[in-house]
Amino acid sequence: MLKELNPLIHSQLRLSIMTLLLSVDEADFNYLKEQTNATSGNLSVQLDKLNEAGYITIEKSFVGKKPRTACRITQAGQNAMAEYVETLKTYFKGL
Amino acid sequence: MNDNLFSEKDSLELISQMLRQTKRNMEVGSGNIFLYYGYSAFIISIVVFVVVYFTANQVWAALWFLMFVPNIVIQIKNRKERPPVVTYMDKAIANTWSVIGAMFMLTIIAIIVFGFYIGFCNFALMLPLSLLYAGIGTAITGVIMNVKVLIYAPLMAFFVGIYMLAVLVSTNEATVFWHLYFGLAFIFMMIIPGHVINRISKQQCLKN
Repeated sequence: MLKELNPLIHSQLRLSIMTLLLSVDEADFNYLKEQTNATSGNLSVQLDKLNEAGYITIEKSFVGKKPRTACRITQAGQNAMAEYVETLKTYFKGL
Repeated sequence: MNDNLFSEKDSLELISQMLRQTKRNMEVGSGNIFLYYGYSAFIISIVVFVVVYFTANQVWAALWFLMFVPNIVIQIKNRKERPPVVTYMDKAIANTWSVIGAMFMLTIIAIIVFGFYIGFCNFALMLPLSLLYAGIGTAITGVIMNVKVLIYAPLMAFFVGIYMLAVLVSTNEATVFWHLYFGLAFIFMMIIPGHVINRISKQQCLKN
């Protein structure tokens, strides 16, 4: 019986965000939006979900007069992604 | 994005795609920091040499403290424009230069403290030590970025720095020409690599 993939990560946009954040130290909202081609509203909702799960941290600040939202993956997020990839591997075993 | 049709295979493809997108490419102007410091050092070296040579007053060597100006300018610029993404490589390079910067500051403080103790501040030591510190920083940056010109470019600075230290140990005398040697070393250590990096980054961006 195959283990279920973490539903919080197994969504196209959330997985994109997690993978992007896994490979960089910090990324701002506009960078994530550009890379994922998501709308601001949808991205914002998914970021909040990941933040509530403790997988990412969101830091809001101002650069000059412009607001800036910086996102980082947490240790819990890294662990969750590692587990997700391990589970994903089991789906392709024997292919 | 429709999550209902999102399969395990899609998931794997998406991970690969996102990882490809974040593959680090140099941005246009990546070598500018080297150019700011390189040209500043070169110009200051000529100014200090000319002024000290014609006035025979070593006090003018204090103009070397103008080397902190590019740092202040860069800090202000960075505060106004934060990059959209900070990679682990950016972080490693920034931390390397923070340590190098701290070494500069600690050396200045140490020279002042020892100067008060012995009754004379000799900043001549700053020239060879600065070459060695900046050389180490440049070489580490080259290793992190995997840019060979940055790894080997500081060799000239190491050579000049070691020569200065050897002269200081044997004769305890720094000549006015040291200022020029310092500027010359910076041409090889920062100006040439800065231009090479900018050329590489421009080519990379044209390809993408």
